Amino acid sequence: MIRFESVEYVYPNGVKALDGIDLEIGDGEIVAIMGENGAGKTTLIKHLNGLLKPVRGRVLIDGVDTRNATVASLSKKVGIVFQNPDDMFFSESVWEEVAFALRNFGYGEEVVKRRVENAINFMDLAGYADKSPFTLSGGEKKRLALAIVLAWSPDIIALDEPTIGQDMLQKEKLLEVIKLLNSQGKTVIISSHDVEFIADLKPRIILMKRGRVIADGDAEEIFLNEELLKSCNLLPPQLITLSKELDFIGVKPRLYSSRELAVEIMTRLRR
Amino acid sequence: MAAILQGLQFYPGDSIIHRLDPRAKLLISTTFLLITLIYVEVTVTTIIVATEALLAAISGIMRRWIKTVYGSIPFIVAVFLMNYLIRMLIPGQLPTQMILYESFAAAYRLIALLASFSIFFLTTTPEEIGMTLTKLRIPYMYVFAFISAIRFTPILAEELQTIVDSQRSRGLELDRGNPLTRLRRYIPILVPLIVNVLRRSYELAEAMEVKCFGASKKRTYLRELKLRPKDLAVIVLALISIAASIYFKFISPIKIP
Repeated sequence: MIRFESVEYVYPNGVKALDGIDLEIGDGEIVAIMGENGAGKTTLIKHLNGLLKPVRGRVLIDGVDTRNATVASLSKKVGIVFQNPDDMFFSESVWEEVAFALRNFGYGEEVVKRRVENAINFMDLAGYADKSPFTLSGGEKKRLALAIVLAWSPDIIALDEPTIGQDMLQKEKLLEVIKLLNSQGKTVIISSHDVEFIADLKPRIILMKRGRVIADGDAEEIFLNEELLKSCNLLPPQLITLSKELDFIGVKPRLYSSRELAVEIMTRLRR
Repeated sequence: MAAILQGLQFYPGDSIIHRLDPRAKLLISTTFLLITLIYVEVTVTTIIVATEALLAAISGIMRRWIKTVYGSIPFIVAVFLMNYLIRMLIPGQLPTQMILYESFAAAYRLIALLASFSIFFLTTTPEEIGMTLTKLRIPYMYVFAFISAIRFTPILAEELQTIVDSQRSRGLELDRGNPLTRLRRYIPILVPLIVNVLRRSYELAEAMEVKCFGASKKRTYLRELKLRPKDLAVIVLALISIAASIYFKFISPIKIP
């Protein structure tokens, strides 16, 4: 359970990135944090494992105040996958790279071996175990970054802009992984402005603007509100726009999947 | 360490100092440097530091300037200790008090030195520094490399922070353990940093080649440096100060405490 209580954060250069955040995220939820660049999404995420501590207010992770805990201890529960994998690789092999965090957390070599193999296989990196992480392609690096965090199986996983630079196929795979993780009971938090990607997940959406939460609700409710989205420099998913255009044949605007919308159109046309 | 880097980075402002020709500013710093080297006496060093503080105040860079001084304290202490130890070990008959005074003076002069160049870097853009170096007939290729280094320092600092964040999120604890283990812990920080620097260098070089960098020997510039009356006044003042210092130190019989 994650709680933000009146959290404010000001960067050393004076920029106020979080201006009074009150939030509660329960176990096993999927939440998307959306908003334009500079809204405070990454700042919020960095508060989850104590990298940043609030200037005012507090952040509670399973009842623990982040100001009273080390980043290392919080990271055991909250795994953050940052945007740029190039900012974390330093090992001789992919295997060693994945093992790093596990060793930091004090797991025995037997456990380390098992978890590394599981994580590598889970993210389709089996053939790359002995390769240098620097020789991987962009997509493979992103998979490795995720494998690294999944290895220690934190209860809460936060992904900061996971779809940047990914092609459609990679995004589909990522969607599957997220759904799978959630079905295993993990809390997944995704910061993104990729509306189409988020629409597929139909998560709870927390919309941020200038350090504040301006909307918090379920995906359909938020994506149907075009004005709200525009104020955050976002556009609604294409299927919603299409369903709105089709109101002349009686289609109600909803967050349909493509199949649902096709069925709805056919039903309306038959009348 | 980061504090020193901040004190060497351009800080925008519209003061008299900012608007001076960079060559004049460079001469000011060099003047401070020369006087500090010529005189060992603490009184002179104090005058220098006070003058520097005055200039820093006028330029509105006081806080940053103080940060440089503050950040260089480890070096100052190291210089002090080294001086002290060396003077103690050399078989002379100087009293301990004299040795302490001289070591302190040496360390103090280092502050004056660092502080003087800090003012130059804080009030001069990398571009202006580049123009100055070009006027000194240094080939543009080297000038560009130098100012790129200055320009990328804040970016490097940001990247360092991002890397530290990523690795801490993987359980790396940098503030635990004895000094030896701590050093090893920095490998996950240094390797990504260096790899990124190298990658960026290649990308920058490619981008520059695409823009025809080095295509012709003769290069023109968007802005040209011109010396104006204020700049000339400053230059004359600086030269007079240098001449006066040399005179009073080596030629005149007047002793300075």
